[in-house]
Amino acid sequence: MPTSSDERVRIGDAEFPKPFVNGLEFNAPVHGTWNIVHIGFRIPEAHQIYICADNCLRGVVMTAAEMGELGRFSSVVLEEDDMTHSGRIEETTIEGVTDCIRKLPKIPPVVIVFPVCVHRFMGCDIGYIYKELEKRFPDVIFIRGFMDPVMQKRGTTPDQRLRKAMSDIIPKLPAKEDTVAFAGSDMPASENDFKKILELNGLTIKDTADCRTLEEYLSIGESSLFICQYPAGLMAVRAITQRLDRKYIYCPLSFDFDTVEEEIRQSGLSVPDRFFEDGKDACMAELKKLKDLIGDMPVAVDYTAVPKPLSLARFLADNGINVKTVYLDSVDGSEKADFEYLQNNFPELILHSTMHVSDRRPVRSEEKVLSIGQKAAWFEGTGNFVNIIEGGGLYGFSGICEFIRLMEDAFNNSKDMRDIVPRKGLGCRSCI
Amino acid sequence: MKKTYRILPVYTGDVSGAASALYEFGGMTVIHDPSGCNSTYNTHDETRWFDKESLIYISGLNDIDAITGNDDKFISDICAAAKRMKPRFIALANSPLPYLNGTDFKGICRVLEEKTGLPCFYVNTNAMHDYSKGQSEAFLSFAKKMLQSPEKKIPNGVNIIGMTPLDFTSTKIELSGYETVSNWGLNTSYDEAVRAAEAELNIAVSSSGIASCKYMEEEYGIPYIKGLPWNGRPFDYMDVERKPSANYIVGEPVISGSIAAYIKIKTGIDYNVIATTEITDGLLLDCDRKCHGEEELEEALKDADNIIADPMVKLISPPNANFIELPHFALSGRLYLKKIPDLLKPGLYCPGI
Repeated sequence: MPTSSDERVRIGDAEFPKPFVNGLEFNAPVHGTWNIVHIGFRIPEAHQIYICADNCLRGVVMTAAEMGELGRFSSVVLEEDDMTHSGRIEETTIEGVTDCIRKLPKIPPVVIVFPVCVHRFMGCDIGYIYKELEKRFPDVIFIRGFMDPVMQKRGTTPDQRLRKAMSDIIPKLPAKEDTVAFAGSDMPASENDFKKILELNGLTIKDTADCRTLEEYLSIGESSLFICQYPAGLMAVRAITQRLDRKYIYCPLSFDFDTVEEEIRQSGLSVPDRFFEDGKDACMAELKKLKDLIGDMPVAVDYTAVPKPLSLARFLADNGINVKTVYLDSVDGSEKADFEYLQNNFPELILHSTMHVSDRRPVRSEEKVLSIGQKAAWFEGTGNFVNIIEGGGLYGFSGICEFIRLMEDAFNNSKDMRDIVPRKGLGCRSCI
Repeated sequence: MKKTYRILPVYTGDVSGAASALYEFGGMTVIHDPSGCNSTYNTHDETRWFDKESLIYISGLNDIDAITGNDDKFISDICAAAKRMKPRFIALANSPLPYLNGTDFKGICRVLEEKTGLPCFYVNTNAMHDYSKGQSEAFLSFAKKMLQSPEKKIPNGVNIIGMTPLDFTSTKIELSGYETVSNWGLNTSYDEAVRAAEAELNIAVSSSGIASCKYMEEEYGIPYIKGLPWNGRPFDYMDVERKPSANYIVGEPVISGSIAAYIKIKTGIDYNVIATTEITDGLLLDCDRKCHGEEELEEALKDADNIIADPMVKLISPPNANFIELPHFALSGRLYLKKIPDLLKPGLYCPGI
């Protein structure tokens, strides 16, 4: 089956896992997802230093500025002479980072250093740079970040590697059997069955996305179990649990009841009687309310809203909701079964690329569409949308119920899409 | 160290500047880059997305194509996009990696012209300069490729050159006795922009307009003056003599110089320009100066009595200096977007003067 050269394709005709041809890329003016600056600031008291060319620097420094966090951000500008003189890029990086740290009112306990694509292509001796920096600042913990988008088409992305580097500084502490950590996500666990169950079991909960102090962040090393609910954080969680010799559970927000039940059962945590039955009943009741409310109104979903957009589309479609479009550019391997199910049972469902050249001139229908996610909202041109990224910390039956309530709210209350979606990093402070 | 920034952001970069300059000209601008430059431009350096479309794309360069110098995908992707989107021209902008590996953009332009039949030109950027340089290169490249000797001249026709949202929020220039032929490039169009050679006068309203004004002077005999028009007349800010003082206007030199000249004429008070953007040759008086980077600027402001600058500059200004805020989108971006005044109405943003 050929990959589509158009911006949209019926799922019945789509190819797994890449429904669309690669080409020039469009970037929608929608910015709620997090970038490496937002992620780095999850470590309390950490200072970030970027070493790059003007144009690349502008994006990250303005991210920090819009968060009101310039006090925890410094930069070193690379110029042509850094590219043309042998050894200059190492010198500029070392001296620049040193200068940035010395100019701060107080030496920060943690510094995240971000070299860029150019460092890689210049064959820069990164090991030497850190050796020298650690010699100059023996009390500082240096985190080895990288801002190298040129590498992201193959292998791991800069944000996956950053999450891992951030977890590398968590020390191996004696494991406490009563302590469990959510790790790898940007969104703290909210309406979340695991959180509920841990609380019912009287366990202490830690969350890498919700630490107030560096001490608290580092104390995550005493957790006996790690729960990862975001795909981009899995590499970090695998690495830290291997290093600390701890267990982990990987359970991104799924809308499949059986998957939820199986994941919770496999955790070995004690679950109250009728937990699963009551959870499913609550979801179905909430779903009925939604169906009664929105009727046959078309629904659009995008990949930034939830880790498993096709699982969501399948769940909604199976329960009579008129899912019209899923906005995505590729399908994650974990969604193959959902892809095939939708292909066989709902072949008219449209997959729509978010970066195809034609998207610069989106064709918006007159029809009112309920959207899930900021990109879907922008493409559909609607204020009736669920403003959520990365699953919003939701999980399990309580998470699904909350998600449906958010859809009801989106139907009832239109948002100012034009004001909301250009703001970066949903959930972070925005000073614009 | 000159290359480090502790407090201030850097100005918008040259790649964004190029994209901004060409935004409304009806072409297709392709940034040969993995994704960083496009995201930066899209998010922080452009305000027009919701009101006006523009064909601005990135190539999505990956490591293997960068290492092997594989231009084939770049070329075929552009051809496919051009066939689909039907731009009036194609502009290519460079970024650090293609700059490092010496990608032959002019050669690629020739291939693209053959394959698409569209005019194609290269904008000489590499992400290591500020927006004024990128805009300047874009306007100049556009002029060289797209302008033709006019069949007729428009009496008292004038072009406004060097105007983008990175510096300006408004295009409402009242010039009595003149007819505006084109604006490069805000609230404009392809059809207007390509008529520029029909004008009898060019007004460079920012440093990024100077190079294309000089080109049009040499090529089409169109004289130019530099500066914001005041009182309905073209006005060259360099004609107003100013003396050294401890009052400073920080920013882009043509705009800052024009405001300094306005203040001098209006009040007799001398303000000196501290130019913090890149293009300054022939744009500063003896009392003015150029500053590169945060450290130099902080030093230059040490003796200031009065400062007119973007609000972020206040963070490195002496606390006892009187500070008048003049937000500049190319510096503080969206932080003060709602407070950016119409530069053509200085009475509004310099109320005490």
